[in-house]
Order: sequence, then C-alpha cells, then structure tokens
Amino acid sequence: MVLLIDTTEEKKGKDIAFLLGKYGNRTVILDIPKEGNRLVDSFEMKYSEDVVEYVDTEHMNISHCFGCNFCWLKTPGKCVINDDYEPLLKRISRADQVWLVSDTRFGFVSYKTKNIMDRLMPIVTMNLHYVGDQMRHIARYDHNPDWGLIYTGEGDKDNLSLWCERVAVNFSTKSLGVFEFDKCGEAIGCMQ
Amino acid sequence: MHAVIINGSPRVSKHSNTERIIDSFAEGLALSGASYERYAISDKDNWDSAREAYIKNTEIIIALPLYVECVPGILLEFLETLPVKDETTRISFILQGGFAEAKQLECGKAFLDKLPGYLGVSYGGTLIKGDNFGIRVLKESEVQKIITPYRNMGKAFVDEDGFKPETVKKFAGPEIFSLPIRLMLQLMFMTLARKNYRDIAKGWGCKVPIDYRPWSA
Repeated sequence: MVLLIDTTEEKKGKDIAFLLGKYGNRTVILDIPKEGNRLVDSFEMKYSEDVVEYVDTEHMNISHCFGCNFCWLKTPGKCVINDDYEPLLKRISRADQVWLVSDTRFGFVSYKTKNIMDRLMPIVTMNLHYVGDQMRHIARYDHNPDWGLIYTGEGDKDNLSLWCERVAVNFSTKSLGVFEFDKCGEAIGCMQ
Repeated sequence: MHAVIINGSPRVSKHSNTERIIDSFAEGLALSGASYERYAISDKDNWDSAREAYIKNTEIIIALPLYVECVPGILLEFLETLPVKDETTRISFILQGGFAEAKQLECGKAFLDKLPGYLGVSYGGTLIKGDNFGIRVLKESEVQKIITPYRNMGKAFVDEDGFKPETVKKFAGPEIFSLPIRLMLQLMFMTLARKNYRDIAKGWGCKVPIDYRPWSA
C-alpha cells in the first residue's frame, strides 16, 4: 500500500493522487471533514494491499510531539496525546511506501510535516543496537515503510535528501528520494 | 554581552534535558561577565514574550534537542513567527541529542548552519553534543557529569565571541566510535542497558514489556 500524506496549503498531493488513479491504481481519497476529531473512526478503513491512499491533513488535529518518552517507557508503542494522529500512525506502519507531500520553510519541510515525523517514535523501541557505525533504536514492528518526499517551494534539496536518508536508516528502512513537486514524475513512477 | 537564550524543546521545562544544559551554560556565561534572559517555547503562552525578546535583542542563543534528525516541529513553528532582522543580530545554537556520536547531529547542524541566512541575521555557530538522554533519568551526581562541561562552553562563548569551529569539534567528541568501543557498546545495549530501561519503565508505571506491540503491522 502506498500512503500519500499531504500537508501542503494548496493540497498538491491530491493532484498526484488523481494522476495515480488515471494510471489505473485504485486510489482512495481519505478526506477529513472540517469537524475533524470524530472522523478517526471512519478513518479506520479496511486495510488493502493494492491501493494508493491519500490523506489531506488540513482538518486533522495533529499536535507536535511533547517529548515525554511515554511511548518508549510508560505506554510502549502508544502515544498518550489524544488527537487524530494514532489512526494515521497505524496506516504509516502498515504501508509499504509513505510519501510526504510538503511545503517548505527555511529550505526544510514545514512544521506540519515535521510534527507528523516527530510523532513516529512509538514505532521504534527504547532499545538500541548498532546499524553500521552508528547506534539506532530497534524497530518495534517487523514491517516498516520506505520514505519519500515531494516538496513545493524553495527546498534545500541536499539537506532534504540527507534528512530523508537518515530518517530512513533510523526507522530501519530506506529512502525513496526527494523530489520537487514540479518534477515529481519519477517519484510517481516509483509508487507501487 | 547580553544574551537571549531560548529553549526550543517541546518538553516541559521541569523535565527538559535542554533546560538543564542551559542552566550550566548560562552559569558559564555569567562567569565571563555576560548577562542573559531565558525563555522556553514548550508553553505557547510564552511565545509572545520570547518573540519580543528576539526582536529587541541582538545576541540570541537557541538551545534545542535533535528530533528525528533535525529541529523539533514546535521550534519550526515558532521560527515561522519571527520577523526577518538584519545582520546586527547574531544567532547561535546549542544542539543536543540522545545518541552519543557527533555524526548523529550532522543533519540538524546542516540545517542550523543555513537558518540564520533565512532569518536575515548573522551566525555565531552551533555547539553540538550527544549522549544527553540520561539527564532526565540518572542520579543527580551523574547528571552533573553530563551538564557541567556546558559551563565551560558558556565561558568560551563569551571569551571567544561565539562558537568557534575548533572548540565545537573538540566538545562534540568523536564523529563515530572505534570498532572495539562499538562492540563493547553493542554488548551493553543487549544486557545492562535493556535492564536499565526496564527498570526505568517499571518506575514510570509501565505494565508491559518495552518492546510491546499494541497493534500488528
């Protein structure tokens, strides 16, 4: 399953989702109504392998990470913040590919995208091991998605690529690369 | 020198490792004759006063933890609220992380190296240091061993007029550890460290193993 998470103001990811649908993919648009929070139940859709899912986060209530470490040491695997994030995290951990579609600020992803990434901590454990020459957290689950980034605006591609690669290593997976929105044909070709 | 120090951690100040590091660093500033004022952005009610201080002052130090390889989301959000200033303002950073090797902080530092340019201000360098996770959970005597060296960095910041590359490199420690040390640490991760984490979890009221899986992936 391919998961597109769109935090852009102009909902650029929706264009990609429609394009994927035209190419014959079964695309599910998980629209989140303005009412927000109570939507999480319907968000718990039946999991399907051969589908592209698109999530527009505009009306989702997703907090920043508080850094409490409870997801490692008090309620392992569970974030204690009561907002719309957990259903999204479940979909992330089950996906084969996750593509972030993000605006950029200061050459980096927007805070909305970074908040989603900072909240990934429940999918790794407190336990450490060495991967190559650097210490990492041990993944909580056997399956972890590959990560890719499609960005709008003046992104610093070198920094974004380094970030994406390091994030992938930290989550025991691999980077699918970093692409400008206007040149994301190659990224769309990777979505399967 | 009068410095504005902003704690960019999302964790409440009472439990913030970054706050303890700032405590020690600020002592060093004072030892070299500098004064300072402190702010923390974990409580959004403080954002207006922190922003006001950023606007009115010219020596800014932002201390932050590494979150998922870069700046925490909440700090990015705060940065978006700052106005562009000119190069008479200087901004410097203290970037701290949990992993021990300096290389773990390279991506965050690469972002911070360029951030002053986006804000229109000049850059005073970034101090980096890992191995700080224990500050919250260790005995106070052990915590002091971790945070006390930051006092010297506070002094050096005044005496050397910013974070100089050679001082930063020395303080950061090894980029990566040698193979014998890695093997020793790996053994520790599989034994003593796991026991310590289990003990901490138990003390925090955890009812399940720390590698518990709440759902199947």
